[in-house]
Amino acid sequence: MTTTANGETIPSAGDERLAYRGVGQRMLIRPEIVGMLAAVLLYMFFWGVTQPFGTAGGVATVLDVSATLGIMAVAVGILMIGGEFDLSSGAMTGAMGIVIILLVKETGELGGAGLSYWIAIPLSLAIALGIGWLNGTMVERTALPSFIVTLATFFVLRGLKLAGSKIIVDQIQVGRADEGRQYEFWQNIFGSSWERRDHIWEARDGVYTALCIFGGIFILLALYEFSFRRSSILKPKGLALLLVGFVGIGAGVGLLHILDGTDWLAMLVIGVSAMLAGVGLGIWRYETVPDRGSLTLGPTVLQPIGKAFGFLAAAVASALFFDSANDTDILPFVTEQGLRAILFLGFLSGAIVFSLVSLSRARMVSPVAQGTVLGLTAVVTFAVALFIQSESQSAKFRSELFGMLSILALILAVWAVALLLFESRRFEDQNADRTARRVALLGGVLAIAGVLTRLLFSIQAEIDAKNPSVLATFSIRIVWFVLFTAVMAYILRATPFGSWVYAVGGNKEAARQIGVPAARTKTQLFMLVAGAAWLVGILLAFRLNTIQAGTGNGLEFEYIIAAVVGGTLLTGGYGSVFGAAIGALIMAMSKQGISFAGWNTDWRFVFLGGILLGAVVANGYVRKIAESAR
Amino acid sequence: MSSLLELDNLTKFYGNIIALEGVTTTVEAGEVTCVLGDNGAGKSTFIKILAGVHTHDAGELRLDGKSVSFPNPRASLAEGIATVYQDLAMVPLMSVWRNFWLGQEPTKGRWPFKHIDTELAKGVAKEELSKMGIDIRDVEQPVGTLSGGERQSVAIARAVYFGARVLILDEPTSALGVKQSGVVLKYILAARDRGLGVIFITHNPHHAYPVGDRFIVLNRGRSMGNFAKADLPREELVQMMAGGAELDQLTHELESNSDGNGGN
Repeated sequence: MTTTANGETIPSAGDERLAYRGVGQRMLIRPEIVGMLAAVLLYMFFWGVTQPFGTAGGVATVLDVSATLGIMAVAVGILMIGGEFDLSSGAMTGAMGIVIILLVKETGELGGAGLSYWIAIPLSLAIALGIGWLNGTMVERTALPSFIVTLATFFVLRGLKLAGSKIIVDQIQVGRADEGRQYEFWQNIFGSSWERRDHIWEARDGVYTALCIFGGIFILLALYEFSFRRSSILKPKGLALLLVGFVGIGAGVGLLHILDGTDWLAMLVIGVSAMLAGVGLGIWRYETVPDRGSLTLGPTVLQPIGKAFGFLAAAVASALFFDSANDTDILPFVTEQGLRAILFLGFLSGAIVFSLVSLSRARMVSPVAQGTVLGLTAVVTFAVALFIQSESQSAKFRSELFGMLSILALILAVWAVALLLFESRRFEDQNADRTARRVALLGGVLAIAGVLTRLLFSIQAEIDAKNPSVLATFSIRIVWFVLFTAVMAYILRATPFGSWVYAVGGNKEAARQIGVPAARTKTQLFMLVAGAAWLVGILLAFRLNTIQAGTGNGLEFEYIIAAVVGGTLLTGGYGSVFGAAIGALIMAMSKQGISFAGWNTDWRFVFLGGILLGAVVANGYVRKIAESAR
Repeated sequence: MSSLLELDNLTKFYGNIIALEGVTTTVEAGEVTCVLGDNGAGKSTFIKILAGVHTHDAGELRLDGKSVSFPNPRASLAEGIATVYQDLAMVPLMSVWRNFWLGQEPTKGRWPFKHIDTELAKGVAKEELSKMGIDIRDVEQPVGTLSGGERQSVAIARAVYFGARVLILDEPTSALGVKQSGVVLKYILAARDRGLGVIFITHNPHHAYPVGDRFIVLNRGRSMGNFAKADLPREELVQMMAGGAELDQLTHELESNSDGNGGN
């Protein structure tokens, strides 16, 4: 029997049971993990090279662009999990927009039907679901690939849109959604937006910081609960230490706020308090580690560390070499300061990837090895934060990136110490998992509340500075996007229907043999996509007021790309709703980022192609690692 | 007392081809009936009649003493006859517990919030598997990561849990190595001990003999006899499978060259 000092039992002869999977490994097997990382990297990238990214206005724009794409990507992603494609989905969005306008229009001769929106909206939904049902039934009855069947639907819809518009309104566009009856009421639901212009809250940054810190603390608590073995008795000594640590963190944050910015004393107070809290929490609830193992770092661990340092050196070198104040183009479309940011962040990402690799390998060796590598990472992260702070001319880089990296370094350091002191859990503990999930959820909600506070309120100083990007306009599409994603995620994960979707996509014959209504499930999926297209059609009609006959044509591939980037398998049976939503965010970010950066937007497609290829390769690679790690 | 399942001179034609003729045997609760035969012997037809894919043309099929005929797979399943096919009704990318419950997920809550009772589903899956002596590490792992034997055993456990009285196993050991086959044979015995009538279809007499209580050997659609274990020594079964005299001849030829090997 081989036991790593980490407390993990490596399966050997006579023991088939695997060790308990840590949080990291559980995250790794999520389909959307690559998408999430890509989204973070992309965000960092554009945040580095453009001005509006990261401001409330920029975020509102990106979310607005991602909303219609995301609603469709989620629906198409679910259909792909169910093993089918719908090439008519793009054309259907425009078609549904046209249908709803024609239903409410009141122009004489061959005009529209002149119905009230109250009738037109459910009626158009019925029409959409009918088209979806037709798609599904044709695929099931003919047993042809859905690629072909929906390609046919696509052409039919495309032709109908063009010919129908010409016949009915004698134009290739159908317009004036606002002439319909009861437009005002439905405008609130499908077309309104929410301007955050004069909502001033001077305490905003304090609230934001506090919520984020407490969110972070709860997430860290959850991480402890996930990772360490609970002790049979609670030691009050540890609880006292934890509370002292909390008070210290609070005091430190207060100090930071008063002293404005980077104060060594405040940072020292926060660092020490966080360490105290981390150790105290461990002493309070968890077992101390009996054997820390030896610090023998073989080449498997050291090699990636070496590579990480190489990337780090390259990042620092590129930052020192290029002039951060020069905003003239030195490459086509790229300014010197832009190139500097790109190279710096790119090399930094490389360093992060390799430090993660070395960390996962050190995990196999011993807790002391893991703790050491993690501690090293923490120190280097903090050094990078300091470097950025001293080097950068941009205030954005200085304050925000420095803060983020310092907090990251602190978390890593606390975690490194905790790994050295406390025993990792070896087996399933349902109760601990449940507690941990709830605490993590609480932490996530707090952090999101913090970010929302930051987005939704302004402070007088920003208004005075006349920075236009503080004026954010959030459209109601975003609400629809979030709602739709949440409901679909719930359905896919928690209902029998969700299980059947994965089953018909993974192995249709098996699913049928065992009693899953495979044909019905697939037909319902096509209807789901059509329903989503209806929703997007209405959103388009209320936004654009006039829909072109070609609206939506060709977008079906963007939906598929978004789903694939989010980890959905083209062959079906694997993927997630959040993945598709994140894929849509990635695409919206690249779209908006390129235009914010002032580059030629034609490059968008090159960018998209690159992202698609990269995501597919990375998804396959990560899935392989995840499978072998089981 | 009537047997759980009785086959009396069961016959099936495909047009003018005789696929199965005069097959007679019984399946008792808590016993294993082995159906042996080489490729093309009629084993598939035999399964399909019992599973409701085809109906028989002559003879009689009696369940609890009543004459029955299954028009479709659902009817057969409804009578408690579960078939575990060679290609397995499993979705490789889905977790063990989702596969276990597929198509009959336990739910709780009222309509808009009606959802799978995950904890119950996972708990029952784990418990049922361990009752069969299957030690699954984690019911969350995808079925695709299980070994062939483990997959068979999940399929068997599922059939047992969902109220099967007769379990038909189509060549469960044919694609497996020696050790894995042993594992599956153990599960067959576990299912038998839980009171199911098991029909074990195989072409390997060495797998059939240790677990079987009753043997029926098919050759070119005809039954070569229906034996209780006591009446049939292992060697005779092996010989019958390989074609009796032909095997003797073959053995003789092989032995004159090197040390020969019979069946398997």
